[in-house]
Amino acid sequence: MPAPDRRRVCIGALALLTATRAVAAFGFDELMTLLSQRKSGEARFSEERAVSGLDQPLRYTGTMSFKAPDRLERQTLTPRRESFIVDGNQLTLQRGERVRYLTLDSVPELAAMVTALRGTLSGDGSALRHHFKATVDGAAARWTLTLVPLDLRLLGVVRLLRIDGMQSDVRVVELQLADGDRSVTTIEPLAPKARSATP
Amino acid sequence: MTLRPGSGRGWVAVLSWLAALALGAIVIAHTRFSADLTAFLPAAPDARQRALVEQLKSGIAARTLLIAIRGGEPAQRAAASRALADRLRADPAFEQVLNGDFSAFAAIGRWVFDRRYLLSPAVDARRFSVEGLREAIDDTLSLLGTPAGALVKPVLERDPTGEAQRIAESALSGGGPRTQDGIWISRDGQLALLMTQSHAEGSDLDAQAQTLVTLRAAFATVATSGLDLQVSGAPKFAVDSRAQIQAETRALALTGTVLMGGLLLITFASLRALAAAMVPVATGIVAGVASVSLVFGSVHGATLGFGTTLIGEAVDYAIYYLIQARGRTGDAPAQGWRRWVQQSWPTVRLGVLTSICGFLALAFSGFPGLAQLGVFSIAGLIAAALTTRHVLPVFMPDGTRGMGLRRQLGHGAAWLVRTLPRVRHGITALGIASLAFLLWRHDTLWQTELSSLSPVSGEALALDTRLRDELLAGDERTMVAVSGHDVQEVLQRVEVVSARLDALVQSGQLLGYEAITRWLPSLATQQRRRDALPDAATLSARLGEATAGGSLRAARLAPFVQAVQQARDAPPITPESLAGTPIAPLAAALLVRSSDGTNIALLPVVRAPGPVGDSAPAAIGQALRGIDAAQAFNVGDELRSLYLHYIREAQGQALLGAAGVVLLMALWLRSLPRLLAVCKPLLLAVLMTMAAFAAADVPLGILHLVGLLLVVAVGSNYSLFLDWLRHQGAPDEDTLASLLLANLTIVLSFGLIAASAIPALAAIGRVVAPGAMLALLLSAAYAAPTGPLAVRSS
Repeated sequence: MPAPDRRRVCIGALALLTATRAVAAFGFDELMTLLSQRKSGEARFSEERAVSGLDQPLRYTGTMSFKAPDRLERQTLTPRRESFIVDGNQLTLQRGERVRYLTLDSVPELAAMVTALRGTLSGDGSALRHHFKATVDGAAARWTLTLVPLDLRLLGVVRLLRIDGMQSDVRVVELQLADGDRSVTTIEPLAPKARSATP
Repeated sequence: MTLRPGSGRGWVAVLSWLAALALGAIVIAHTRFSADLTAFLPAAPDARQRALVEQLKSGIAARTLLIAIRGGEPAQRAAASRALADRLRADPAFEQVLNGDFSAFAAIGRWVFDRRYLLSPAVDARRFSVEGLREAIDDTLSLLGTPAGALVKPVLERDPTGEAQRIAESALSGGGPRTQDGIWISRDGQLALLMTQSHAEGSDLDAQAQTLVTLRAAFATVATSGLDLQVSGAPKFAVDSRAQIQAETRALALTGTVLMGGLLLITFASLRALAAAMVPVATGIVAGVASVSLVFGSVHGATLGFGTTLIGEAVDYAIYYLIQARGRTGDAPAQGWRRWVQQSWPTVRLGVLTSICGFLALAFSGFPGLAQLGVFSIAGLIAAALTTRHVLPVFMPDGTRGMGLRRQLGHGAAWLVRTLPRVRHGITALGIASLAFLLWRHDTLWQTELSSLSPVSGEALALDTRLRDELLAGDERTMVAVSGHDVQEVLQRVEVVSARLDALVQSGQLLGYEAITRWLPSLATQQRRRDALPDAATLSARLGEATAGGSLRAARLAPFVQAVQQARDAPPITPESLAGTPIAPLAAALLVRSSDGTNIALLPVVRAPGPVGDSAPAAIGQALRGIDAAQAFNVGDELRSLYLHYIREAQGQALLGAAGVVLLMALWLRSLPRLLAVCKPLLLAVLMTMAAFAAADVPLGILHLVGLLLVVAVGSNYSLFLDWLRHQGAPDEDTLASLLLANLTIVLSFGLIAASAIPALAAIGRVVAPGAMLALLLSAAYAAPTGPLAVRSS
């Protein structure tokens, strides 16, 4: 009976085709694999915040650096110097002359926000999924990762984070707060030699 | 009573005895029995240590329970933690319930916010200059548009310079337990953690016990299946040990009495003799309890526990009397007691005096618990001896006639006295070897930990350490104490100390510290801050300049100008004004008035984790140099040094006591060779017991020392009796039997105590049981310097 056989072959081929398409598609796991190849990086950033009630947006610029697995540094240079350094569970904040040291896990909202950045930069999918509902759009060449907090308390403050990137570079981090305020940070990678991933 | 020795005099003795018993009973009926652990904490010598002991006794630590919920799923634990905290917060027994949910602190937040211009460390003249205002507003704005902005935005117009933020920042140590879903959890995520403080004082154990019951009941109503409550902390330990001491004391007294009763019954084969033997013991206990109550105002539960050990020595007197006063063939009836009073009583009396000498050293101990023990023992022994001397002859003028195992005991004792002297040289060699061993091991001979006095089990301590590490960053035990005559002086000094500690926080050695001046600045500082606040017109003008071209228009900041004006006229914060405010419990923990009237502020310090933090104590010491009124201490180290101080003092007292014993015997014996002969077995018994402990790697503590003192006290009876017998020419089997029986009862009762689960009691038992046995054997070994004694058969 040739007809059923042919049908079976057709279905089989179709299934095979969908399967390969699925493998080739760019999803959360693929993005994480891509991101995890990068071990360190440095960048310039500029941030613009739109805050309701203020006459004009707030603007900040400075540098950021990351070193796998868990060191993240943000140095604000204008309008005033300020630094924010996370290393493991330790957070160091410096503004002017004043320094503060915090343990991250005692301030869970902060821990979640740090995870959003650090997890994305290091491609730590399980850490991201622990705190956020993550969805990925686009392809490796240009992707968007959307993170929505799982913790209701945090969700009361942060509506979502949207991170745009190209290959293993993070380019834009957009933070939407529950009260409608918004912050968009544009990131310009520096010193390509610092990358260890394939170009 | 058919027999009345000394006719009327005997009845006078009995009547005075009964009157004394009745008096004792009345005193005891009005006695307060306490069980707080701090009775075994020394009455500290210097101000800092007094503050520490005060703090341990009545400070916040004595009222704090550390609580963990274990088992089940994280969500279950979180729900149970919230429900439990809600329930406990509604209960008036709890002053404070912490579980990481700070929504309960809204009241404190409001209190602080209303007083922010008096409390903020940032308020000074520069802060309210144009430049200062611009910087402060920029700092506050930089939080907007971030998740932290949610806290700042609602109060932006009233507090644009972020003073509330600054106060919160300085108050939060930055450490603290791990938090998840708004509640505290352990770092490994397996436990939900809570902390409570009771209203009741830590020393009010009945209230603390009730608090624990309330806690458990509350947990039972909120817990879902699979969840389990773990509780630790000073009140829990105190309540548990009281229960343990009570149960053990009862059990020990009961089994001790039964065993000893059995032994006496077998030996005397007479119920009457048994009852007579218990008379001095019971009298001694009544006298002991009543005396301690009169001298100290209350009796510690542990004193009663130790006091049961007295049965061992007091029963000896009865045994000596009952056996030695036995009428001999040819004696007139009812005259045995006369012979006993003539022949044996001087020796027994000397034994009592030597024991008193030993315990006198304890009575002057810096440890209230040990002092009680000393007074208890002295009063008890005197009462027991007097009862034996004056009351027993009335009831049992001829001792006891029952034979039971007396003959066998006598034969056994005679055999020992015949045999042991033969191995005397071996014993001497063993004694010298013990001494050499002790000298070799002298470094590790003594304990240095106060915890050796604590009846808390190792398991409970491990749980406590774990919860402390999680909840209190493991280092709430480092503190700075600042003292002064009046409150304002202390507050000003705390401000000076705070400035120096701030530098250590900036350098990262400290995560933070607590200080009373965050909530109650000195009046001088409040005035300085108030003076820095400009009037409305000036402030408005400066604000206009500071915000020009910025994101925030000055026109929006009218509420700020108004708040500053209010603060200029607000009354200062005083210790009195704190009463009844949400901040009061916090203030009470950080500013204490010690019993001698000095005010002491405590600044608990949180070290940074890792090696940076390890250098913190030294850095604090350095930072405080030059401020005499402020001292940093580590609670653990301090207790250790206190303990060392007291073990040294106790050693000195024990030596003094021993010297007193020797002096007494010297006065009595009036012969150096006899004195040496009497002292030698005691010294060797002590050395060998100590060497055995050293060989078993058990360091000796203060309570072991008490045990050694008891060995000397009890042993001196044996060695004096044997010495007396030797000089009588020939010892009789009855006296020997009485010694052996007395020894057996001691070894038995202390052997029982050695098995106690209360480490302190066990320590005494483990020293006395073998030590007393050695003392008798060695006394026998050295009793006959020239060949075996001819033992006269009765």
